Amino acid sequence: MAEVKYSGVRESHPGRINDLGSTGAKVEQDYRKGCLKRADRSFSQGLQCQQINSMAALMSLEDSVFISHSPQGCVGCSIMAVDMYRVGQAHRGIKKIKNPRLIVTNLDQKSVVFGGETKLREAVELAVKRYSPKLIFIYASCASGIIGDDIDAISSDLQKQYPDTLIVPIHCEGFKSKICASGFDAAFIAINKYILKREKIEKQKGLVNLFAPTTVSYADQKEMERMLKLLGVEVNYIPFYSSLEKIKRIPAAEASTSICKVFADEFMKTLEEDYDIPYSHTVMPIGVRNTDKWYRGIAKVLGKEDEVEEIIEQEHKRIEPLVAKIRQRLEGKRVFICGGTGRSFAAAALIDDFGMELIGLETPTYDDDAQVDIEYLNKIHKNFVVDIANMQPFEQVNLVKKLKPDAFIGVPEWAAKLGIPTTHVLDGKRPTMGYDGLLFLGNKIADQLSNPGFNKKLSKHSRLPYKDSWYEQDPFKFITGGQE
Amino acid sequence: MAQIMENPRGGCVLAGINSVLGAIDRVCPIYHSGPGCCMQTTASDQGQSGHKSSCFVSSVSIPSSNMLEKEVVFGGVNKLRTTIEGALEIMDADAFFVLTGCTAGIIGDDVTSVTEEFQKQGHEVYPIETPGFVGDSILGYECIWSTFINKVIRTDVPKDDKLVNIFGIIPYHDPFWSGTLEEIDRILSSLGLKVNTFFTKHQSIEDIKNCSAAALNIIINPWIFDGPAKKFEEKFGTPSLRFPGLFTGATDTTEFVRAVAQALDLNSEKVEKVIAYEEDYVYGYLEQAIGALSWKRFAVIGDANAATAYTRYLANDYSFTPVLVIINEPVTKEQDRERITKRIRDLEFAKPPKVLFLTDQYDINEAIRNEEEEITLLIGSTNDREIALEQDIQFLGGTFPINDRLFFNRTYTGYRGSLTFTEDLYDNL
Repeated sequence: MAEVKYSGVRESHPGRINDLGSTGAKVEQDYRKGCLKRADRSFSQGLQCQQINSMAALMSLEDSVFISHSPQGCVGCSIMAVDMYRVGQAHRGIKKIKNPRLIVTNLDQKSVVFGGETKLREAVELAVKRYSPKLIFIYASCASGIIGDDIDAISSDLQKQYPDTLIVPIHCEGFKSKICASGFDAAFIAINKYILKREKIEKQKGLVNLFAPTTVSYADQKEMERMLKLLGVEVNYIPFYSSLEKIKRIPAAEASTSICKVFADEFMKTLEEDYDIPYSHTVMPIGVRNTDKWYRGIAKVLGKEDEVEEIIEQEHKRIEPLVAKIRQRLEGKRVFICGGTGRSFAAAALIDDFGMELIGLETPTYDDDAQVDIEYLNKIHKNFVVDIANMQPFEQVNLVKKLKPDAFIGVPEWAAKLGIPTTHVLDGKRPTMGYDGLLFLGNKIADQLSNPGFNKKLSKHSRLPYKDSWYEQDPFKFITGGQE
Repeated sequence: MAQIMENPRGGCVLAGINSVLGAIDRVCPIYHSGPGCCMQTTASDQGQSGHKSSCFVSSVSIPSSNMLEKEVVFGGVNKLRTTIEGALEIMDADAFFVLTGCTAGIIGDDVTSVTEEFQKQGHEVYPIETPGFVGDSILGYECIWSTFINKVIRTDVPKDDKLVNIFGIIPYHDPFWSGTLEEIDRILSSLGLKVNTFFTKHQSIEDIKNCSAAALNIIINPWIFDGPAKKFEEKFGTPSLRFPGLFTGATDTTEFVRAVAQALDLNSEKVEKVIAYEEDYVYGYLEQAIGALSWKRFAVIGDANAATAYTRYLANDYSFTPVLVIINEPVTKEQDRERITKRIRDLEFAKPPKVLFLTDQYDINEAIRNEEEEITLLIGSTNDREIALEQDIQFLGGTFPINDRLFFNRTYTGYRGSLTFTEDLYDNL
């Protein structure tokens, strides 16, 4: 039977769009009526490519070598994952901190003309000779894709030559998608195809796959594991800071869930289809409401609805007085949020715990998942701008300058120069998630709001690179097409 | 041919160009490239150079055509055109440079024709047609200076016999670049010179345009920038002085000062007065902490510039014992290797160290592991911390890339930088 397989390109999902300026109320209606169409920006700033995500997703795996089949420039962003891996080891008490093994084939002018196959073969040979790794991941790049190097055929050939190392090619060519989260999917598709191979193994009662990207701190890992252990399950924490053995255990699990909304969400569907593993795909566990929702989600799949209610009640008893204290400091403050798909909506729910008002939301994509979140937010917040953008700081600063929020949640660089107190919800080194993370985040926001001196003084000395006239204009003027 | 490499340092040509443009006030790169190139080429250098990044535009704030499948198949010049239009409309920059990513380079988009349309309308939009895959950040540094020489720098500027241009220190590819340029500027200014560092004190595209007025180009680097320096002299008549490496401490800095003074025929009485003052400043501190650092047998892993400076200071001025020096830049020409090796091994009293040229992290680690002589101090990049931990060697992150320290104006160069360097070596163990 012919089967339509998910390609790994997130744009292929029906109704999903990347470029839009709207409001909470309007986007909900337009989406429901099917009025949102694929758009573009005639002017834009840089994006994150999917190869960055494919690499970041796996670079903390043990006994692995990561080969970027690309020019040298394409491994620049690997430093973020490398740093997380090193800091992750420090947090886990490891003294002799290791580097991930990253090899770049360094495609050059000659490869562009004659192909890069020889270089890739040499790189794999080098990796095996040096480390005898259990896994070699081969990452495609724009250059390798356009010159037509067949990394699948080369890998399959090399696999025969090196039977003791699993060779896994990943199709993460940057030009294939505007949505960097596609890179996560490309990595998981490859894991299923080359490592798990649809082979069913014996189930292990009480084993739960917990998918976590590199950006989840060790503190957050411990909190998530603590919560799941309260439900009496064993956690298979993957792929961050894990191993081939842990990946191979994936099909044995009783259920799956993920910490990030756009991480392994497509893969969990595949796991259900190929290995009969039910899953929970809800929200990121940031804030009370979202943590409850995330917790109930996985408990339901495990048939532990009653147990989870008991635990939630206990947890609420413990943290509600503390949340109330933070709420006193933050109630009514107006917030602008910018973040990745998972974190932006999670942060929007978080501010509700503290009684804050949402006035602007910037998030990379809009789809049915986003619609669910927006429906919820529209019930609480009456009037907020929605910018469907992956960063695009020029739009962000235009909006922030017009909306004048009391607080900004997201990458602080630009809003800080406008003098607005800033807090980041993406901190892979400190707590963010679960009931404990919530208190850390809440106090962080409240403290920065009550002590905004740095940004205020900075704004008197620092200038953003835009003309004054830009701030007078429609922030969405460069968005072309889209609505009927 | 670009080599297969484990843990490469720096990025592609675009990364080097972006580093230079990002360090000049109010200059805006425009990427005609795939999505991600802006981030990758910022993270490769700016992101690993002590966490300081260009505050005009960098990473995701750089205008980019973000070429996707459609542009790969049908060409991306229309997307580039609207991207430039938008950039001109909203970015408050003095000049724009269009960079060519691998994608645009391979499919052969005609970037120059598009920029010419805007030049005809009076906008300063310059094309750089060297695509990313042609080389690394170091080549990018030379490439952007070639663009400046060919297209930006004026030919009709009157000469100024007190003005000098500094080359050879790549911003964001040397983690200490701004502090280093400030120290060089401070020293040369005290000799009565005017200094184009190009990347500090808010120097702008105007300073680039007028830099043909300089009496001397000072290249502080043992091997890069030959090509652009020759072109510069041919076109603008400014000669070059190459000083074969960065300098840390009184001995080498004084040698540098005398070399510049001689090239410009400065009043030697004044020069010697400056030298005496600066050396007294350094030794006024060194004499207050005699024996504070225990004796070390050291190795350095780094670019030719930093490795030269650290090795010579520690051996000549601080009486530490040099054991092994690994140059991790892709130096391929034999005469360059010889020049670098000679400078590092030409020491006053100490036995010369072994000098190796290795760009691959595995080879570097093996060289440290297999070194027969004991090493008790290693100065290297963040990538080299692993081998130091493994071998239980005291470690200082002092060469590119460094991503576990934050630097603003710190430098290990010059008179004052040598004190900072010595401070950072204190271990209390």
